[in-house]
Amino acid sequence: MDSMQTLISSITIAKPWGIDIPNYFWFTGSSAAAFIISSFAHVFGWKKYKPIAGISLLMAFVLLVAAPLNLIDDLRQPGRILNFFLYGWENFPTSPMKWGVLLLLAYPILIFFEAQALYRPYFVRKAKKSGFLGKIFYTVMTFGRTDLSPEALARDHRLGFVLGAIGIPLALAVHGYTGYILGAVHANVMWHTPLMPIIFLASAMVSGTGLLILLIPFFQRFLSDRHKVDTDMVATLATLLAWFIVADLVMRFLWLTFSLTFADGEKYALYSYFRLHFMDTLLIDYLLCLFIPLIIGFTRLKHIPVVVYFGGLVTAVGVWIFRWNTVIGGQTIPRTTPGFLRYLPPVTGQDSIVSMLANWGVLIALICLVLLIFPWDEEMIDCYKGAEHGQQ
Amino acid sequence: MGKENSRRSFLKTGLASTGLALLASSKANAFSLKNPGRDARDARYIGQKGKHFVMVLDLRKCIGCQACTSVCKVENQVPSGQYRTFVTETEVGVFPQVRKAFLPQLCNHCENPACVPVCPTGATFKREDGIVVVDNTVCWGCGYCISACPYDKRYFNKKTKTADKCNFCAQRVDKGLMPACVETCIGGARVFGDINDKHSEVARLLANFPTTVLKKAQGTRPQVFYINLDNRVTELFDTTQDLDDMVKAEQGFEREWMKVREEAINNG
Repeated sequence: MDSMQTLISSITIAKPWGIDIPNYFWFTGSSAAAFIISSFAHVFGWKKYKPIAGISLLMAFVLLVAAPLNLIDDLRQPGRILNFFLYGWENFPTSPMKWGVLLLLAYPILIFFEAQALYRPYFVRKAKKSGFLGKIFYTVMTFGRTDLSPEALARDHRLGFVLGAIGIPLALAVHGYTGYILGAVHANVMWHTPLMPIIFLASAMVSGTGLLILLIPFFQRFLSDRHKVDTDMVATLATLLAWFIVADLVMRFLWLTFSLTFADGEKYALYSYFRLHFMDTLLIDYLLCLFIPLIIGFTRLKHIPVVVYFGGLVTAVGVWIFRWNTVIGGQTIPRTTPGFLRYLPPVTGQDSIVSMLANWGVLIALICLVLLIFPWDEEMIDCYKGAEHGQQ
Repeated sequence: MGKENSRRSFLKTGLASTGLALLASSKANAFSLKNPGRDARDARYIGQKGKHFVMVLDLRKCIGCQACTSVCKVENQVPSGQYRTFVTETEVGVFPQVRKAFLPQLCNHCENPACVPVCPTGATFKREDGIVVVDNTVCWGCGYCISACPYDKRYFNKKTKTADKCNFCAQRVDKGLMPACVETCIGGARVFGDINDKHSEVARLLANFPTTVLKKAQGTRPQVFYINLDNRVTELFDTTQDLDDMVKAEQGFEREWMKVREEAINNG
């Protein structure tokens, strides 16, 4: 008892990152996953994924256009965004944030050009059929290449392949760097692990597939001329999701077993954190949001679409919660004052629940815009007809 | 051909003049590896060459009066509810063998700071005299440095909306004065000076007393040294009792008071 110590008074700071950051991580992660799934067809040539490759690519694009808005909202001085590009380049090797913004600029541009190569033949046909304004618009979207000869189509195909191949490492980097940002912070016991970028990538594949499981059937049923959900595709995505969950669980197992058991003295803080959140982490994060979708994907349940939609929804939500628990939970661990900190996002204002919902609003608006502009529907139907890309 | 040539030359002239105009207009915001203040070799950014400032906190002399806490707020116009330095007050031992232990905390001006290399705008950097500062005209408020600091000694200043922290009162030090907290410390627990000067008080203390730093394992090599730092106090940092309980207890206590007061008023 002679070593008893009591805190009488102390001060600790408010932590910098709020609700925008887990939301941002979720958006980039899901974008990377959607891009990888589109690359299954465009780069690896897996025919099974061809019908959903186009729409996945478009979803990757909108998610990544909407994602950085979270970051701008999180900045306390968003008007100084130019300073990022002008100053501080000596920190380039050591500041993952510096890499990230460059990746965030390059990646959506690449996706846009890949989508343009994929949909160019459709733009050409649309330009021919449309009225005056439509003609101008779709001609611009063809970038002036209106040739529909087999050679030109082969060129589009090749361009799509090349951009997709460059895009795969870029997609992995654009999300992997977010894990790197956290992993590089050695002051935070929860974040500081070299596994963090891989954990983030694995959970990103889970959330992105979950999101596509919800969106693609919705688009097929309600927004496409097909008016029918491809249930085989839903089952395929459910199995894919299950495999991604396996990868995610392996990563999390490695992370938690090492950091809780074999880490140095600071493991006690982590131990204390997980003890405090044991039931909600175990029941919500693992049992509901990972194990149940895992079972769905590997059993005959995957042939019941409603069950798969449920699995998709809980994984998408579950990974959002995981992002929250990592970013916010990591920050609640004290550094120089005893006791966990507490964070409740404000309802309005910067970095608030409303700003996050507004970001989702932007995402939905962008989805609508992209679905209007890009002839995803015709392309998807063509793929289902078994026709080659771009030919009728 | 002539027409094409004229178009080409028009484009060339246009591009060249646009380029020149852009270059001229961006002169004030020139591209930089560091930041404009450092590039201009501004004395406030470079610091005092040849010196290396450190602080020694002699805990045998600290009485936890918080004079340093308050004077720092005045000197540096720190917004209400925010602090660059403060003194943690603890109690160690069991009655009757019990005493208070104080831990003044401030930015450690680390030799190998965790906050500086992650800054994406170059707004925070280490001066040549070892003082780590933030340029609040450049900082864009991303908070990466705040997350990176193992000592939680950075915060978002409510007024400037940028990262902020103790700067060893560089504005005073550059004029030959002591930091405000050192000047006001009634027990003389805070000692500040140039460690390169072998006759300085800090050099003498570091040479004659065993000192320790906070969180040595972080590898940041702090330049704020403690004499007589009780291990039991730093152990408190690793305890993670839920602060919620404390807050709830406090709020509950306040509610009780309100109730008692209301009853007292109602009963006349």
